[in-house]
Amino acid sequence: MAVAIDAALQMAGDRLVSTAMVPQDISKLIVRTSMKDRAAFDLLYRQTSAKLFGVCLRVLNDRGEAEDALQEIYVKIWTKADRFAVSDLSPISWLVAIARNHSIDRIRARRRPTTDIDAVLDVADPAPGPEAAAVAGDQAGQIHRCLEELESDRAAAVRGAYLKGESYAELAQRHRVPLNTMRTWLRRSLMKLRECLER
Amino acid sequence: MTLSQENGPERESDDLLAAEYVLGVLLAEQRQEASRRIDAEPAFARLVDAWEVRLSPLAEAYPEAEPPRSLKAAIDGRLFASPGAAPRASVWTSLGFWRGLAVAALAGLVLTVALPYMQPPAEQMRLVASLAADSSDVKYLAVYDAAHHNVGLSHLSGERDQGKDFELWMIEGDKPPVSLGVIPVGAVTQLPVAPPIQKQLEQGAVLAVSVEPAGGSPTGQPTGPVVATGDLKNI
Repeated sequence: MAVAIDAALQMAGDRLVSTAMVPQDISKLIVRTSMKDRAAFDLLYRQTSAKLFGVCLRVLNDRGEAEDALQEIYVKIWTKADRFAVSDLSPISWLVAIARNHSIDRIRARRRPTTDIDAVLDVADPAPGPEAAAVAGDQAGQIHRCLEELESDRAAAVRGAYLKGESYAELAQRHRVPLNTMRTWLRRSLMKLRECLER
Repeated sequence: MTLSQENGPERESDDLLAAEYVLGVLLAEQRQEASRRIDAEPAFARLVDAWEVRLSPLAEAYPEAEPPRSLKAAIDGRLFASPGAAPRASVWTSLGFWRGLAVAALAGLVLTVALPYMQPPAEQMRLVASLAADSSDVKYLAVYDAAHHNVGLSHLSGERDQGKDFELWMIEGDKPPVSLGVIPVGAVTQLPVAPPIQKQLEQGAVLAVSVEPAGGSPTGQPTGPVVATGDLKNI
């Protein structure tokens, strides 16, 4: 039976490589990974590693470190896949959350700050405009609409913190405000966001 | 109810901590402490999950990047490189299978996600029920195996009190519950099913677990509270 399942999954996988992976398919792969199915795990890696590596690169700003992190992240996914069922997150968001949190833990743990690639390359934060927000659909668009209700530098701080995993101290430095001010900004912004999203 | 849910201000500060954790602004020690609480406190874990959901659309801004080809082999090396790794055991005896099926069942995923892949041959009809109730933490996963005339029970959570037993019942429509017997203590146990009950089970019934005096109900009907129920569904 196992052979037949693997073959079927393999066929499904080959078919899916050329098309977009829909969330339900990734759900199946995560559930099967939780049952220690290596074929499903292989497919899950093929379908999601580029997104998760993008997360690692952006947060860690260091290719070698991002590669190490990605290995640790998939080891975690293998061992903790059963936790997916108790989360309200979509499957890809659940995987991204693991990758983000792991990458942020890594930058917090490291002592020496690396050169900021963003500063060197002058990469702008990809904050989607109203059009992108509208296209992104209701649920996704809502967070962007709510961010627009915040003052622009605070919305930028929230985006920067989320995408790059910047600490309060780093954000304070970049926005040239005292640490406590930044903390107050962000806490108030988070509560306003929650209120806006629950409206 | 946990303390933090009853206590307004404390819950509010927990929610803020959950938000800061998800946003990523905390220091290493604070993140470790939060991470420990996620593992230990379901209420706090739910707050964190809610924030992950709220902020997750922001992650669309991460551009994809192909990792080097050698990386997957390195991951497999870490996970599966134990010398003389055992060949895959039967799926039914694997703890991972039960756990995976159990969490999937509890999340309502079981029929849509897990089971299409596990379709057994037609003559081995199997019915599955996830047994739980909001009022208790007792959870079982029940699998009726028509070929062997037994109900396999995987105990997921909830302990029986001293001097009490859990008893399994089949409920069909408005008829009085029929006892399938006292559930043996253990993580994975089985109860044999008598011929008259087999047919009813195969037509899809409701299973329920009640708390009874040690040794089972003295009256033949449930006497204690029902702590878990679920529909048997054909897989």
